[in-house]
Amino acid sequence: MNFDYLEVAHYPLAKIGLLPGMARIEEYPMKGIIFVKLNQFVDELWGDEFWDELLNVADLPSHGIYTSVATYDDEELFTLVGLIMEKKNLTAQEAQIAFGQWMFEQLLQAAPPEAHKFTDVFKFLYGVQNVIHVEVKKLNPEAILPEFEFLEETPTTLSFHYISPRKLCYFCEGIVQGLASHTGQQVTVEQTECEHQGDERCVMKVTKVV
Amino acid sequence: MSKSISELEARIGVLERKIEREKKARVMSEQHLEVHSRALYESNQSLQTSLAIAKKKQAELEFLRQTSGDVSSDISLQELITNTVELTGQFFSVECGLFIVTNNGQALESKVDNIWRAPNKWVSDPVFFNQAIQFLPLEQQESLSMWLVSSIDDEASQALSGFKWIVFGNFALLGGKIAWLAFFSRAEFLDEEALSVLGTAREHLLSGITRRVTDVSIRKRTVELQNTVDRLKQAERQLIQSEKMASLGQLAAGVAHEINNPVGFIRSNIEMLEEYLQDYQGLHCSIAEALTAEGQIDTQQYNALCDKYDLAYIQQDAQDLLISNLEGLDRVKEIVENLKTFSHSGDGKLERISLNLCIEGALKIAWNALKYEHIVDNQLNADLPQILGNNGQLQQVFVNLFVNAAYAMTNGGKLSIKSTLTADRLIIDVSDTGCGMDKKTLEQLFTPFFTTKPIGVGTGLGLSVSYAILESHNVLTQVHSAVGKGTQFSLSFPLPE
Repeated sequence: MNFDYLEVAHYPLAKIGLLPGMARIEEYPMKGIIFVKLNQFVDELWGDEFWDELLNVADLPSHGIYTSVATYDDEELFTLVGLIMEKKNLTAQEAQIAFGQWMFEQLLQAAPPEAHKFTDVFKFLYGVQNVIHVEVKKLNPEAILPEFEFLEETPTTLSFHYISPRKLCYFCEGIVQGLASHTGQQVTVEQTECEHQGDERCVMKVTKVV
Repeated sequence: MSKSISELEARIGVLERKIEREKKARVMSEQHLEVHSRALYESNQSLQTSLAIAKKKQAELEFLRQTSGDVSSDISLQELITNTVELTGQFFSVECGLFIVTNNGQALESKVDNIWRAPNKWVSDPVFFNQAIQFLPLEQQESLSMWLVSSIDDEASQALSGFKWIVFGNFALLGGKIAWLAFFSRAEFLDEEALSVLGTAREHLLSGITRRVTDVSIRKRTVELQNTVDRLKQAERQLIQSEKMASLGQLAAGVAHEINNPVGFIRSNIEMLEEYLQDYQGLHCSIAEALTAEGQIDTQQYNALCDKYDLAYIQQDAQDLLISNLEGLDRVKEIVENLKTFSHSGDGKLERISLNLCIEGALKIAWNALKYEHIVDNQLNADLPQILGNNGQLQQVFVNLFVNAAYAMTNGGKLSIKSTLTADRLIIDVSDTGCGMDKKTLEQLFTPFFTTKPIGVGTGLGLSVSYAILESHNVLTQVHSAVGKGTQFSLSFPLPE
């Protein structure tokens, strides 16, 4: 297994806990698969004792009993991530990016066959909305999925507006990085605008490094 | 690698909690699965129910489509009834069906097999039939307003054993006859919904039967109408003949005059010839007296005798008189022949005829009405093509037109007859310079019994009969008239192919 994403752990720590932009007004149900995968991620990275410790501290309504088919309050995810950040001295950005990066391969395995055809990061990103999310909706009509609004494309860059009530733009950054590892392309992902930085919206810019 | 007991105990604690969570997660998943399976099962059940309902509805629709298709098609009443029995029997999933026609409550002998058996076979089975109709209230003279259902008593008859239900209905046919349809089912229970579909089909069938019954009465009425038309045509032929005779009666005086005239001068000519004959006899006697014993007479004496009797003149005049008489007789003969053609009722057959001859004949018949005060300007082209017509009838038309023209020109005038030839028609214009007609008269011109002549003078049938004759010749008739100026009849005859 590739543990490159561990590098994020070396990023300077900025702030513990949720960023101001992540303040949440509503609660949304979240698919159990995300919790199961977070469990797996934590187990792999820090061992099951750490997961056990997180659950003990968090004292969640679900008591950490996650199944991939059920849905849970996404507040539980933020609680767990917050605790990870606190205990491992990570920023929300670092934590989400690392999880997103690891998560890509996991999601791809669960994704419909159409998702495996893509060999280019840009084409995949275009396909997320028109192909993959369509298939996901067929199986989970109630799933809350992010929307991408494409803004600009050059041969080497692609900008899109990330729209999601969950405001997991960093997680999205990690996912794109995981995607690049999958296609074997070298890319940089940056947010030219970010709600967590006081902007109106989150705009992702993916640049292919030749 | 050894761990302290407390470390191991902690590890066991972690694992126990993990196992506990996994167990509960499994239970949750299984519950989830059960809920899903149940939901799946239920939706599957409801889908199957829906499918069954849909299939049933489809069968019902198909049945209704076929029955209403039959109803609106052109098949006969017999076919309609047998098809209905077949379709209904199949749709209703019964084992047996039959039809029967009754009159005054008595079953009529069927000319075709009238018992239907599933899956689709027509048979004759008198035993079954006689048992089966015991269940029908055949004495009922009125048609039922719906299908009726009776249960069949098992013990009642052998032929019907095993059948539980009879479903029947009837329909009124022509002449007080009633058609009955009956179906026999072995099923424990009848499908009520299917019964209601049968009800709908019954309405369709009813309208189909009504239509066919109506068709039959329409056909009957058509035959009656045709007979009436034939009688009317015969009456019309008689009327044409009567009118012709009536107009002949009116013409009789003129025609008599036409005949009397030559007869008069022929008679006076003959009187003259008789005198001449006496002169010849006198001359003969004188010559005989003057003969010598040798039987000779001298030329001078002979010439004197001839001069005395004016022989040269007599010879010349006798010649003239004979020619005149022959001409006079020809005229009489011609008039009589035309009268014969005119009065001949004929069979109305159309033959190739010459309009020139026809019109000239008509002119001769009507001549007496025209010759004194009127100028007749016959401009007909001498070599007009022949047309298909009945000479006598057309002559009647022209005589009528000429006499009318003469009547319209009491103070004299001109009757013109012209012809125009086009590619496919021959147009004859008959115009006068008479008093003309106003709009009101024009509108009633061809109305039977309409006449402007005093009572007892005209029948009021002349032009209406003429019009009927022209119609039967496919002649297009146009009338132009101006009061005080005259009237023109344009008759456009089709040329034969």
